Amino acid sequence: MTKNIRCLFLGLIVGSFGFVCALPPTEAALLDGLMGGVEESLGKRAEEKGERLVIGNFYQTERPDSHAPIGVMQDHTHNKGEFMFTYRYMYMYMDQMRNGTDNLSINNVLKDFAVTPKNMTTQMHMFSGMYGLNDTVTLMAMLPYVMKEMEHQNRAGVNFTTNSSGFGDTKLAALWRLYAFETPSIGSHRFHLNTGVSLPTGDITPTDNTPLGNNSLLPYPMRLGSGTVDLLPGLTYTGARNDVSWGFQALGTVRIGHNKQGYKEGNRYQINSWGAYRWAKWISTSARFHWQQWYNIKREDGQLQTTVGPAQIPLVPTVDPDRQGGQRLDLMGGVNILFPEFMGLENHLNIEAGAPIYQYLDGPQLKQAWSFWVGWQMVM
Amino acid sequence: MDNKTTVLWVLTSLTLAMGPGAAHAYEVGNVQTSGSIHGRVSFLGSPPEPLHFKVEKNPEFCGQERSLMKVESRDGFLAGAVIVLEGVNTGKPFPPKTFTGNSPGEGEFRYLGGESLGLQVKTKNCNFGPFTGVIAANEVVRFQNQDSIKHVLHSFVSKDTRGRILRTVHNQDLHSRDEIDRIFSSDKMEDGIVVRIICNRHDFMQNWLYVVDNPYFAISDREGRFTIDQIPPGTYTLLVRHPVLGEQRQDVTIEARENLQVGFQFMDE
Repeated sequence: MTKNIRCLFLGLIVGSFGFVCALPPTEAALLDGLMGGVEESLGKRAEEKGERLVIGNFYQTERPDSHAPIGVMQDHTHNKGEFMFTYRYMYMYMDQMRNGTDNLSINNVLKDFAVTPKNMTTQMHMFSGMYGLNDTVTLMAMLPYVMKEMEHQNRAGVNFTTNSSGFGDTKLAALWRLYAFETPSIGSHRFHLNTGVSLPTGDITPTDNTPLGNNSLLPYPMRLGSGTVDLLPGLTYTGARNDVSWGFQALGTVRIGHNKQGYKEGNRYQINSWGAYRWAKWISTSARFHWQQWYNIKREDGQLQTTVGPAQIPLVPTVDPDRQGGQRLDLMGGVNILFPEFMGLENHLNIEAGAPIYQYLDGPQLKQAWSFWVGWQMVM
Repeated sequence: MDNKTTVLWVLTSLTLAMGPGAAHAYEVGNVQTSGSIHGRVSFLGSPPEPLHFKVEKNPEFCGQERSLMKVESRDGFLAGAVIVLEGVNTGKPFPPKTFTGNSPGEGEFRYLGGESLGLQVKTKNCNFGPFTGVIAANEVVRFQNQDSIKHVLHSFVSKDTRGRILRTVHNQDLHSRDEIDRIFSSDKMEDGIVVRIICNRHDFMQNWLYVVDNPYFAISDREGRFTIDQIPPGTYTLLVRHPVLGEQRQDVTIEARENLQVGFQFMDE
């Protein structure tokens, strides 16, 4: 009997391996061949219009809006052997405290806390590469260099600034082509799956001089990484027809375990939805809605000082793990420029800027005022 | 479970592990007596005008303008029709052949021949090769780019001659002076009969390759003539295919040492 079970398992394992080998994971979009009914229907419609239905074409024609607005990442896949280098610069400015959807003055915050943040700038230099591994998978790696600066004021009216900088968390991702179809009249429609992991290379114990002392441990918003391995699942859809293109992307950041400081950042979920219009072969403009929801920190960093004085006055909202979550909807406008091919390289210069049109914060927290992105993409 | 059963389990599993079984493959063997088919493909009517393209990418290399003649007819005879004899399982080896694209394109479809078709696509002067050709499933096809510019190879397979649904087989960059090997696996070809290859950067680069599984094929020359020889005696289906004009077929019976004459006629639609 035991031998039977052993053989059964052996058969199942070898058979399963064979089944996986029989699948075309490295030679086609994952859903190719599984959409027969849809294809027949689309094919008939195409035929009625004297058109051809093309399945599985993920090639992006060289046009300025073939890449999403620069603030969107992992928005497209690459042909086998194709490499793309991207440099992005992001500047984000946060100003004024908010609780829920109510803005708070400095004095409002200082009634409950000894110190309040006044504003914050975050700058990131992001270096990333994408490579078409095969007809199914595109690999992506991204390393950011982060610079943060936060200005504060305490009850005595003293202003002080803290800074942190260094490399952030490294992101590695695999983009899996799912399905694509196109005809001239309905345009092109492409779907891919985003899978990725964020590795904790960013410093979660940055220090700076504060009125509390030199080399004080900085609070959560000033940290350069999550300190945890995070999963980055997502789904992306892009489409184009004539001079119009559009896209939709849902991405998650799911934290695994707790970091060495004993806490876990809240999960983050975001949805991007954008549309672009190509005015000429070399320029397009875009509008993008970016919705994000992020949750409060689980547990806490025990090394952070959270109160001050014998009266145990809460120190500053940024050290409170329950004042880190929120939701925000940004509206961004962008310009994509495609340069003439040089030495066989396809060059894109993309700019995007925008501001929130809604934000709800588990505050008091600094609210975002605006952000600006610029990026250079070089496809070879 | 006895040893026999165990062996059966493992064999079954290994069979599963090898995936879907391949269809009966063509085998090269001795042809003691054989016949041949000679024929001509005619075309009645006026062929469509060649398509003209203004070259947008790399005009300095490919030229400012290019044209594509989809139906090549001269004096009422059709060039570039693909003639395929279906149902031959054993016979002569695949013959070595080379077909070159129309000027100014100088791309080549080179068939190395032997036990397999051995297709090599040599891209030259922004041209993959002649408008029509043949391809075999589950074989490595070598794509060589002899140009100093990049091409983006995009291949599709279709199950009907007019290509109502085109299924992408490969999307791949073909860099300058680069050479890549791709397999057109039977899994992807399914019941496809024709592979279309295009360059995504140069829209005038378009070719159609019909799927063959034996060496008994021919492509009509500029006078519409074709010959298929060393055919083992038997009854087969002879197909003539053209990407624009469609398909015609007739059953043929080949006797030993017979020289069968056939004719096909396509008409202007």
